[in-house]
Amino acid sequence: MVSIKDIVPAAQNNINAQFILLDKGRTTMEGQNKTCMALVADETASVHFQLWGDECDALEPGDILRLSNGIFSYNRSNHLVLRAGKRGAIHKVGVFTMVFAETPNMSEIRWVPDPNHSNKYVQESVISPHSRIFPPLP
Amino acid sequence: MASKLLKIAPFEAESQLEVTLRQAFGELEPKLRPPFSLAIPNPHEYSQLNKAILYGILTEPGFAKTHIKLLHAIVTDGYALFVGFLVKVAADLYDKLVDSAKDQLIWAVKEMVDVVGVGFDGLLVCLLRQIAGGDFSDGNLWLCFEMVTVLFGKWDCLLEKQPLVLTSALYVFLRLLADHCRVSGNERLEALRRLEIEFCVKMLREQFHLCMRMGRDLVRLLQDLAHVPEFRAIWKDLLLNPNEFRTNGFYDIAQLYSTRTSSRYFLLRITPEMEAQLRFLLVHVKFGSQKRYQAWFAKKFLLGPERGTLVIDIVRFICCAHHPSNEILQSDIIPRWAVIGWLLKTCRKNYVEANAKLALFYDWLFFDEKVDNIMNIEPAMLLMVFSIPQYVDMTHSLLDFLLLLADNYDVGHNHFVMRGLSSAFNTLVQKGVVHSMDVLISCDALSPLLKERLGKM
Repeated sequence: MVSIKDIVPAAQNNINAQFILLDKGRTTMEGQNKTCMALVADETASVHFQLWGDECDALEPGDILRLSNGIFSYNRSNHLVLRAGKRGAIHKVGVFTMVFAETPNMSEIRWVPDPNHSNKYVQESVISPHSRIFPPLP
Repeated sequence: MASKLLKIAPFEAESQLEVTLRQAFGELEPKLRPPFSLAIPNPHEYSQLNKAILYGILTEPGFAKTHIKLLHAIVTDGYALFVGFLVKVAADLYDKLVDSAKDQLIWAVKEMVDVVGVGFDGLLVCLLRQIAGGDFSDGNLWLCFEMVTVLFGKWDCLLEKQPLVLTSALYVFLRLLADHCRVSGNERLEALRRLEIEFCVKMLREQFHLCMRMGRDLVRLLQDLAHVPEFRAIWKDLLLNPNEFRTNGFYDIAQLYSTRTSSRYFLLRITPEMEAQLRFLLVHVKFGSQKRYQAWFAKKFLLGPERGTLVIDIVRFICCAHHPSNEILQSDIIPRWAVIGWLLKTCRKNYVEANAKLALFYDWLFFDEKVDNIMNIEPAMLLMVFSIPQYVDMTHSLLDFLLLLADNYDVGHNHFVMRGLSSAFNTLVQKGVVHSMDVLISCDALSPLLKERLGKM
């Protein structure tokens, strides 16, 4: 299991993590499939999570989710999102009883290629300390 | 593969408990059919056999009698293990059970009462807790009906072996009746209500010595039912003819007032899931980070049309059954008074709000240092004091309600109530919850009239 604060964009389905779903946007269609942006967090950080297909209706704020073999990368709209993808899976393992941190938000960080490892990314700057799509509740 | 035991929602992970039971059943299925083996199982086999039998009973109604026969044949521990697994299923999986498994669960419970299985009282209590307050759904009313039927059916046995289960059930059904008597026009509910009333009246009229042990909250629940004819008579006798209860040593309602109600009663009206979430909030969530949790909790438990009355039970639970450690008290975790302030704000109906405030102040009215716990009265005081800077309306409304109680709560015992209130204030100051009453009496933001009345007290 990896902490959300330690995830780095990569074209690999290798992220196993557990987090709580904090908020969900509107469901829209991408081709034949439903999709929906969500905010998830664990006790270290938050990140935008892209729900796909039936996940959009089945999962609700307050659900504790376990992601296996997920991927953190740019989607078609060029948003940096975590998602299960075709090779990963998401399961609801509980509700409510998990603490979370909304700052930092890993999707609100500008990442640049690592000068030493051309296929890796490093953090360049913080775009926003928290999600701009789902700001913290006042 | 679809589960025979549980309704699993899409994307929901398997339940470990179900897996354990199913695997035991899969492994031992041949042994569950006659002719039964005569070999004596070792402890591991015995445990597995208990799990397999339980899974069989819950998922194969047609073979339940065969399964229970095997259980009776192998049992060597007074059914302790079997009842223990039943409690786990009832506590952790009840909501998810398919309907036929719920029927089977109740059937198994009755069997365990019949054989006086070790721990069957805890099992009944666990199921009583699964009845959700203010929930008029078919499934919830079904459970009420099944439980009150079990209690009637096994009355003599319960009275002899575990009479406190009946007292617990009385607490549950008096509280449920307050909701069930408020909604009308539902034939099914009407039949249920008659049974619930019959049960409670039987307890109060025939076993008052048991009812007395509940203490002061018995009065709090009964007064909410004083408009129901069957309870009006009891209420009158309680106030005017205590001898009617033919209970040695009971001669005045003040005896109930002076008995603090044990915290286990308050848990009876909080489902295990609600308890887990409330305790999590009060142990792990930092003050300032509670908004999302509160929204989730309210959406799940408080938002239905009649569900608001749950706030009353939660306030009582927080005051009397959740006492934080010193470590938590000195930390940045959300304090109890803040959660109660939020709960009072969610009240949409006046009678719910009034009952919630009564729940908050109830131990103040009869406070006696020798039997009462300062932690039960602390949240109300702190809520009044800490609301002054930003939410003085809250302080006003609470103080106003407290003074109303001082003047009007059981006028016949006014001296008793006044003594309780002044003892509560004194203890709060002595123990340093507040430095002095000046925080209220000298507060510029409070109305002079309230302060004057408070000063006189």
